Amino acid sequence: MSTVSTRDERTAAALPPRPPVGGRTSALRRSAPKIWLYVSLVVISLVIILPLIWIFLTSFKTDFDAINSPQNPIPNPFTLNAYQTLLSSGQQPIFRWFLNSVAAAALQTVIILVTASAGAYALARLEFRGKRIVFGAIIATLLVPPVIFLIPNYLIVQNLGWLDTIWAITIPGAASAFGIFFLRQFFISLPMEIEEAARMDGAGDFRIFWQIILPLSKPALATLAVLSFLNNWNDFLWPVYVLLSPENLTLQPGLSILQGAYSTHFGIVMAGAVIAAVPVLIIFTLAQRQIVDSVASSGLKG
Amino acid sequence: MKKGMARRAIAATLAIGVGITLAACSGSGGGDTGGSVKAGDYSGPKVTVTFWNGWTGGAAPVLVPKLVKKFNAEHKNIVVKDVPMEWGDIAKKMPLAVKAGKGPDLAVGHGDDIATYAAQGLLLKSDSIVKSLGYTDSDFPAGLMKDGNYNGSQYGIPWSVTPLGLYVNKDVLKQAGLDPSNLPTDKQSYLAALQALKAKGIQGEWVDGFVFTGTFEFESLLWQYGGELFNDDVSKATFNSDAGVKALTWMTDLIKNGYSPSNVAQDGNINALVASKTAFNWNGVWQTTNTALSKVDWTAVPVPQIGDQKAVWSSSTHWMFMNNKGQDKNKTSAAATFVKWMNDHSSGWAETGELPAANSVRNDPALVQKYPNLKPFLEELPYAHYETVAPGITNVEATITTAVNEAVLGKKTPKQALDDAVKQANQLLEQNKSQYGG
Amino acid sequence: MVSITPTALGARDRVSRAPRGARRTGTAYLFLAPFLVLFCVFVLAPCVYGLWISLHNWNPLLPNQPFIGLKNYIDLFTPGTLTSGNFWESMLATGIFTVASVPFLIVIPIGLAQLLNRRIAGGTVFRAVFFAPYVLGVAVIGVIWKYLLDPQVGVVNHVLGMLGLPANTPWTVDVPWAWVSLVGVTVWWTMGFNTVILLAGLKGINAELYDAASVDGAGAARKFFSVTLPGLRPVMTFVTTLTILASANMFGQSYIITGGHPGNQTRTAIMYISDEGLSQNQMGAASAMSYILFAILAVISIINFRLQRDTTK
Repeated sequence: MSTVSTRDERTAAALPPRPPVGGRTSALRRSAPKIWLYVSLVVISLVIILPLIWIFLTSFKTDFDAINSPQNPIPNPFTLNAYQTLLSSGQQPIFRWFLNSVAAAALQTVIILVTASAGAYALARLEFRGKRIVFGAIIATLLVPPVIFLIPNYLIVQNLGWLDTIWAITIPGAASAFGIFFLRQFFISLPMEIEEAARMDGAGDFRIFWQIILPLSKPALATLAVLSFLNNWNDFLWPVYVLLSPENLTLQPGLSILQGAYSTHFGIVMAGAVIAAVPVLIIFTLAQRQIVDSVASSGLKG
Repeated sequence: MKKGMARRAIAATLAIGVGITLAACSGSGGGDTGGSVKAGDYSGPKVTVTFWNGWTGGAAPVLVPKLVKKFNAEHKNIVVKDVPMEWGDIAKKMPLAVKAGKGPDLAVGHGDDIATYAAQGLLLKSDSIVKSLGYTDSDFPAGLMKDGNYNGSQYGIPWSVTPLGLYVNKDVLKQAGLDPSNLPTDKQSYLAALQALKAKGIQGEWVDGFVFTGTFEFESLLWQYGGELFNDDVSKATFNSDAGVKALTWMTDLIKNGYSPSNVAQDGNINALVASKTAFNWNGVWQTTNTALSKVDWTAVPVPQIGDQKAVWSSSTHWMFMNNKGQDKNKTSAAATFVKWMNDHSSGWAETGELPAANSVRNDPALVQKYPNLKPFLEELPYAHYETVAPGITNVEATITTAVNEAVLGKKTPKQALDDAVKQANQLLEQNKSQYGG
Repeated sequence: MVSITPTALGARDRVSRAPRGARRTGTAYLFLAPFLVLFCVFVLAPCVYGLWISLHNWNPLLPNQPFIGLKNYIDLFTPGTLTSGNFWESMLATGIFTVASVPFLIVIPIGLAQLLNRRIAGGTVFRAVFFAPYVLGVAVIGVIWKYLLDPQVGVVNHVLGMLGLPANTPWTVDVPWAWVSLVGVTVWWTMGFNTVILLAGLKGINAELYDAASVDGAGAARKFFSVTLPGLRPVMTFVTTLTILASANMFGQSYIITGGHPGNQTRTAIMYISDEGLSQNQMGAASAMSYILFAILAVISIINFRLQRDTTK
């Protein structure tokens, strides 16, 4: 991959096609533009990061300080009051919500991976009757405004007796048209030959799917897993409707309770945002290479 | 291809089948308002009473669990389960949950929700518990019992009221050479104070165009000018009357004459008061618990009388007994016991930034002694106006905010904004009438 | 990811190249079964059910839902009715947002992907930073920016004031600034996602094409237009479609940051449909609106795919 990434720097035809890393002449010639490259990257990064840092700092401010001197980055006085209010509220089991969120997001991710990969295998690698219709229907539903599903799905979930359970916030959303579309595109790009060889050895469809296609698709599966997890973690409209008991809430709708009904408790609102944001930012930091690289490597196969 | 067609047909049939089943189910869910609450202390088997409320602000997160714990300790056969959430979330999830038999047994709601819920069959009649508690109209501020009454039956029992008041930053007044002990009470004195502040470069009241609190201020002014939001049977909107136009013009004139900045954000005015950038803010009694205010030398007084008579907007909250699909009568009786107990123990309620509705509790001199900030709000109650009672009214009320917003931001003249909103409101009222009946 | 080709809607060309040999219809449906069960129950059935609802005066809380035929649809196209003015105003808001946001959400990520495609130290770090806001939910980014952009207590206006610029811009209160805010916040929030996909696309472009262009004496600009853009086209189709759909479904940013104000000018279609269907319980009218929005999105997507397919030929 590193060999490919140098290509558009080779503006001068005289340079060898793949210059060795740190070649002396090229290093000299590139130093000036590279400074500007770094300057622009750093500036853009600051634009992205500063608001997050600002919010982090604000979460340690008193309400008065947050209203009165928003321009001061440093809390004066520094207070953990907002976090104490959020975390120690006898009324609100915030750690329970956190665990509920993790469980729901993980469960839904697993269901999506299983159902979408199997379905995508059929759509990408098998020839069958009705394929076009099935695929067309899946794609068409991507265009339907999600709000339309809410009431019908509420009634379905109610009839299934799933209200106020983890099933309500995992199963309906697991019918992921995006997931199946995404994996199908990846599976299609895998060369036919590997499969044919296995077939010659007498492997059936399930073995090909399980032992060849899936292992080759780890990056795409990882990407889908992370996107699915985030999607579930960040959902806050649907859980408000279907989760009723405080102990069954997830973090997003739960935090809105704590953010106060009337007043502008900026410290508490921002501390809530931080609590919701930090876990996903950590997950992302740990998995970002995986996500981005998987996208990149699938690109190289194209 | 034929097989494909067949499969598609099967899929479609399946989908429609599910749809029809659902239609049937949702149909059966909507029962009429059959039952009612029985009064008296609950003595049946042990039950859990689920109780939804929007008590998330002020001292409520500490106070409510304490009260509930005390009640549960005193009542061996009742466990009250306190479920606080945002008011907005309650509005979202309660109707569907009650229809599904998964709602609370008891809830607290706002005055303008009760008629809607009653018409939707979500509530039990509570005439009998009102009787057994010995409550009559005169036990509450004038007009408040009526807020819980729909089609001749009582569905809500008053719990608290939350009027608007005039918040004052005393330091800012002093900067303009004004005496903080002599605060404006009428149009002349209010304009004089704003004028003095303006002379010092201070914009004395920041007018906003949002529900909190521009709409509340507009409604207060409309009533002061002798107007009404709707006609008597709430079949027509009347807030574009002369009184309405005068009220909204008063607000836009404050901006036009430089007493208020333009483009104030939601809560921008109370924040400006906290930051000592402005002197006055029309805001609700709930702001008395705003922690940011504790750093400011502030006070509150009744809203000044700008129009021809005294009037002020107030919201109210009421106990509601829920008519869940398959509601357990024992739970409802236990809930009634809890309501009675809470009413007897509501003196500490003022700490949450709400005024207890029961006159006996509120008029106890100890209350003002303990919470002096609440005095001006208590004084206002004789002329407070509460929410309109009609099914589906909150949707209509939203058009008022749109008008206030458009006028305050200079998008339309007050008259134009109100006329447009009234047109929408009348259509909505008609829609409500055709859905919920008269 | 380059393999995401404009075949998504009309899958014909790919399908015809699918594995030779006998059709394995039974096996295929066995593989599809778990997904199709979920899909039929929670996606397809609600879609059909929604269509059925749209033919009724449907308040889910009342015992009766009278059938009214196409009245909900006719009302939407009849000026002066309760829903038509509000709906088309909200569609206009969605249109303004989509037209204003999609170009930025494509052009800026292409630029960023170009920057990241150089061989530089710390490239992965920058990539991660650009992507980071995308992992946050709209509830979080909404409250963050509502505070930062608040005209009175927001730090944005304070900073502008310190730089000697106007310090009272009503970012969250009045148009056109509210649109600037909504587009800006959305770009800040989601550009990283598009950047990563486009970056992958760039890496997939055959390096020899650039060499050939260099031999022909092409400058940077010409290479961009004659090699980079054509090479990115399949990925662009994917990114453009997803971005248009996301922008057309925008709801949370308006709901949290501007509340749909001033008046109802920044209330988007989804925000109005949600309010009508879920707060006002007018599910029939709301469903009808959803299907009109769906029809428009479908037409736009088909045009988009057609255009891309024609230009690739």
